[in-house]
This record gives sequence, C-alpha cells and structure tokens, in this order.
Amino acid sequence: MEKKIYTDDFEQLLKEKTDQFRMYPSKRVWHSIYNDLHPGRKWPSVAMSMLMIIVLMLIGYLNTGDSILNRQIAAGGTDEQVSIATNDSKKVKNKNRPSANAKDQQLVNAGSGGPAGEDIISFLGIADNSFLTNIDPATGLNNDLSTKNSGVTFVVTKEQPENRGKDILQTVDTYIKTNQIFTDIAVVNKKKKTRAISPSNSNRNQDIDDQEEFPDGNLTGTNSTNKITTELKDANLVTTTSISAGSPESNDARQEASLVNENSITKKDLNAKKALSAEEKAWIESYALHNKPPRRGKWKGRLAIELYTTPAINYRRLSTDTKGSAAAFANSDVNNAVSHRPGLGIEAGIGLSYAFAKNFRLKAGIQFNSTSYGIDADETNHPILTSLLLNDLNTGYSYPNTRTSTLANPYYNTTALQPVTVHNTTLQVSVPIGIAYKLASVNKLEWFAGASIQPSYIFDGNAYLLSSDMKDYVSEPSLMRNWNLNTGFETYINYKFAGFTLQVGPQARYQLFSTYKKRYTLIEKPYAVGLKIGIVKGF
Amino acid sequence: MLAGCLKNNAAAQEALYSRFSPRMLGVCYRFAKNREDAEDMLQDGFIKVFTQIHQYRNEGALEGWIRRIVVHTCINILKKNKKFSDSVDIIHANSIHVKEEIIPSIMQAKQVVECIRTLPLGYRTVLNLYAIEGYSHKEIANMLDIEESTSRSQYTRAKAMLEEILIRKKIIQKQKKRTTFYGAVSPD
Repeated sequence: MEKKIYTDDFEQLLKEKTDQFRMYPSKRVWHSIYNDLHPGRKWPSVAMSMLMIIVLMLIGYLNTGDSILNRQIAAGGTDEQVSIATNDSKKVKNKNRPSANAKDQQLVNAGSGGPAGEDIISFLGIADNSFLTNIDPATGLNNDLSTKNSGVTFVVTKEQPENRGKDILQTVDTYIKTNQIFTDIAVVNKKKKTRAISPSNSNRNQDIDDQEEFPDGNLTGTNSTNKITTELKDANLVTTTSISAGSPESNDARQEASLVNENSITKKDLNAKKALSAEEKAWIESYALHNKPPRRGKWKGRLAIELYTTPAINYRRLSTDTKGSAAAFANSDVNNAVSHRPGLGIEAGIGLSYAFAKNFRLKAGIQFNSTSYGIDADETNHPILTSLLLNDLNTGYSYPNTRTSTLANPYYNTTALQPVTVHNTTLQVSVPIGIAYKLASVNKLEWFAGASIQPSYIFDGNAYLLSSDMKDYVSEPSLMRNWNLNTGFETYINYKFAGFTLQVGPQARYQLFSTYKKRYTLIEKPYAVGLKIGIVKGF
Repeated sequence: MLAGCLKNNAAAQEALYSRFSPRMLGVCYRFAKNREDAEDMLQDGFIKVFTQIHQYRNEGALEGWIRRIVVHTCINILKKNKKFSDSVDIIHANSIHVKEEIIPSIMQAKQVVECIRTLPLGYRTVLNLYAIEGYSHKEIANMLDIEESTSRSQYTRAKAMLEEILIRKKIIQKQKKRTTFYGAVSPD
C-alpha cells in the first residue's frame, strides 16, 4: 500500500518535512477520549450536581415564607449588620452596635421623617432595641427570635472565593515532560546560533516575505540528490535519516543519533535540546507562514466569554407580614384574593467562564433582567380613598396609611366599570456569580448543570399594591426595594461549532427577598422559568 | 504499554496517547480546516485505536498502524462533511511542466504544513494521501469514492499549486535553468 520509491525530490522532501511536524493537543481531547473509554467513572457527576442543586434549592426554600418573618419580628438587640442603599443610594454600616442611640434615630428621621407622615423610609439600621441579633452575613437571616421590630433590611452576601485551581505553569510543565520529545531542526539551529529566528530575538510581526534567508540556503548547481543532501546537511536543516510512515519506533532514536553524527552535536547539546520550555514549544507550534506569536498564557485557554439571553415566564408568590391589624389584608390568604397572571420577561447578559478544573466552570458576569406579571383590575370613574397596610418599623405593628386609587380589585369591588390589565414590572441589573458542572460529554456535545447567586439592583419598575381592605390597587413604586438577591439554576447543552459553542437549556430564577420594602406588609417573591440561549467563545 | 492497552488500562492508554498524539495531530491538522477540527479527528482516531487495539498483529510498527487508523478517520470525517467531486477534467500528468527548475532549499515543517492547508479540500486530501501518506491513486480513489483519473489529476494540480504557493512565500527558491518536465506521476 505504501509507496517505497520516491522518484520526485519535491515529494520526498515534502514527506520528510511534514513528518517532522508536531502539534500538541489540548487536554480536553484526552479527557474526551478517557470519558468515552471509561464511561462508568463519570456517573457520580450526576449525583454531585443533583446534590448541589438540592442544597441550593433548600437554602432558597428556607429563606421564604412566614418562618423568616416571625423570627425577625421576635428577635431583638444588635449584633452585626450591614445595610445597603437608601433611596439616595447611601450606604450605612453598623457593625457590632449595641442598642440604639440618638445618632441612629437621627439617621432614621433624616431619611423618613417618622412613620406617621412619610411614605419613604431610609433603608438604614434602626435604632432602639429593634436591631436584629445574630445576623448571618452569608444569608442575611436572623437566627435569634427576640427581635421585636425587624430592622435588618438586606444583607449583601460576599462574593464566593475564587477557586484558583492548579498552578497553570506546573500543569504545563508536567504535560510537556510526559510528551514525546520534539526533535525540530529549527530548535537545533537555534541552539547552534544560526540565523534562524528565535523567540528571544525575533520580530514576530515580520511577514514571511521579509524574513532573512539562511546563510547556507542558496544552493547552486545541479539538482542531484547528493548535492542537495550534502548542502542541506551543511546548513543543518535536514537529517540524513529516511523517515517514512510505518518506520520502527526507534525512528526518533535514529534521528537523534544522526543529528549527533552528522551535525557534530554533543550529547549535552542534545539533552539540552530535549528540555524544551513551554515558551519554545508554544513558539514552535505557532510559528507559521505569518510569524504568529506564541500563545501568551495558558490561562487564556481556560477562559471564555458568553453572551446569552433568556426569555422567561414570570410568576410570583404572595404572603403577608402584619401584626396587630384587623384589616382584611392581614387575615386572609392574599393569593386567593387577587387575579394575577404570569407575564413575559427577558434576561440578557454577558459573562466570563473560567474552567478551573476538569469538569467545573466558574462564571461571573453582568446581566439585565426585565420581569413582569399581569394584574386584572377594574378602572374606576374617579379616584377613591383607600389605604395601604404598612408596618411601623419602630413598634413593629401594622397600621393603615391613606392613599387614593383608580384601580379596583374585581374580586372584592364590584363598583368599578372598566376591566383593565396592569403590570407589575421591574428592571434590574444583576451580577450573577456561579458555578457549572459538566455532567457528560460526547464529541461536540456537553451537558452542564449550574447554579448562581445574583445580587440585583432594581432601577425601575411599576408596583400596583393591594390595599388594606383588598378592594383596590394603589400605584406605589417607591415601596419597591432597590437591592435584592436572586438565585439561578440551569442545565444546558453545549454544542461546539466553528470555534464557537452554542448553549441551550432551561433556567429557573428565584428571588430570595420580597420585591417590596419591609415597610409594606405584603411579601412578594417572584420567580421565572425560561429557556437560556447563549453563545460562548474562548479566548 | 500495549499489553496495558489490551486490558483497557487507563494509564497505559494515556502513555500511548501521549507518545503518539503530537505526530498524529500533525497528520490530522493537514486534513482539517482548523485546529479544533483536527483535535476532533484526533479524538475519534484514538478512540478507534483503543477500541481496535486487539486487532494489531505486530506486523509493522505500531505508529504506522495508528497512523493508518487516524488517516482513515480523517477521511471518513471529511467525507461526511463534503463529497469529493470527480468532475475535474482529466489532465494527463505529462502536460504539466514548469519553466524553471525548482529546487527545494529551505523548508520549515510548520510552514510547509500551513501551505498544504491553504489548498482546496480535494487537492489537499489527495496530496496528503499520495505524496505524504503513500497511498496509491487506486487506493485513494476507493477511499474518496472518486475515479482514479480524478485522483491523478487532482494530485497534479495540487502539487503545482503547492509549488506556486511555496515559491510565492519564499519557502523554496527557484533556480533558472533549462526547461524540464516536473510532475510525473509515480507508478502504483
């Protein structure tokens, strides 16, 4: 099958040169081969990812519902507290503060003017026995049940520490040492201080057309094989060993011996030649027609940029946080007292993904979220007097606060005439930080599962709030929180093509804290289910 | 190492892979459109090597056996993605000649490979199989589902084009001499 006789010098040299060519595959190739040959060993990854998702969902569930509210109301005193953002974006830190003092009261009064007359309360630590104790900085939950008035509003969890992973250089060095020794004539020439271009002294941007010629490269005379071989040998550019497909495995050893014999290279030089640095290997691989510079760092191979969008359906869950009120709002299940319908939302973002381990990706980025759900209401002919049930943050008791409304709740109010659908919306900017785990991979397909936490800033939105008698809706966007925390869970399929990776899969997003400030007695926890579509490109 | 691979030992498989993968990836790179495709070909090729390792009968070098599997894998992948047209006109090899004698003088491995990769897919594949891998035109025709004459003509054109590229890129030098025929097809 194989040709043994080459009657064409060009073909012979072509074959010799291409046989000298080496390329070093990325680690993912071996990992894919390994997973294909040993599929049983990757099944634990499914269990691990399910465990991770269950743990995160449990954390989310423990942060919901009345249990948190009751603990916050009953707790008292102060431990450590960090509060974020007021309406004028002021940050206040109260660390390990004892019970209230006049200064705290001033802060409260400066922002709010007192609970009786103002709608807006500064998002600050609250004075006078109403601090919470035992705040867990990671979750913002109060574990102590003695607080009377919940002053803690929101605790920003710190960024998860980055897993640095292995030392990249050490990994590269280990990889190189375990690979086949690369016998490249260019390296030999470099060692012998010929005019071959090297990483240390080359003009890497120089076009091939401007490249210097080797001093011994100009051959004259006939095209006899002997002369060519002799002169090429003199130029240290070719070995005398015949290389062909199917040659014995000692071919490399023969090459080395030939180099030593023919080109007067000492054993020491040869050993020195064998110990190629990562930079030299990278340069050898990357040196192409246009003098491409070698790759600047291994970390780039692990880093990728993602662009994604997630159209989603938004839902919400309602509950109340009231005390000492006889209002209908406080004594009914509000979920059964309203007519709301899911709405369409969108998420779009850009992020970075870093493969710090074989099957793990650390992700971070920035994204924009738009959430919405519909409210069935009836428009009234004229404004009507109503009230919102608010919490006195000083005393902890709920009280009605007068408002006007032009929207009636058709469940309880039959006097209105014109049905209309209004929307509660939010516009958010989030910083998702998460982790993804590769469950399986086959050829160009990969299956991932991931989770993230997303500190979010709500910069705009609409809020139609249920009145204390549940008969009307009052527009009051000022009672919306500016800061919140969301969690995301996703699973997706990666498909690699043309240097890009297409990412598609379902995603669920859940808000941990109420949409509204603590002052409003209604707790709303929205969640969204959508389909994430993304494009990933490595560096 | 071979015995370990026969027992599906992961360490032996990794050792074999580490030893031969650099050269085999170089082979794949000559057939592929880009490095990623080349790595995919390498991956498929080595999976076949390990699953068929029991068929290796110690006749000839292990590297040659692996290389044949890898080359066939490359061809199969290329065939899946593109059909090799046999609509090229038949051109007898003897009619191809160059005016000036070409004497290869300076060739760097990577430069030569990159020049080969700039050729059109059909030319590149036939050139790789014939000039480098050592298959005959008859065998190439069977592998690519084309006519033997098409293989010959494609190879002739490929070689001429490659020479032109190498000259243009100043990888080889021309020496002005008498006109000689260049491009005779070797017998199978």
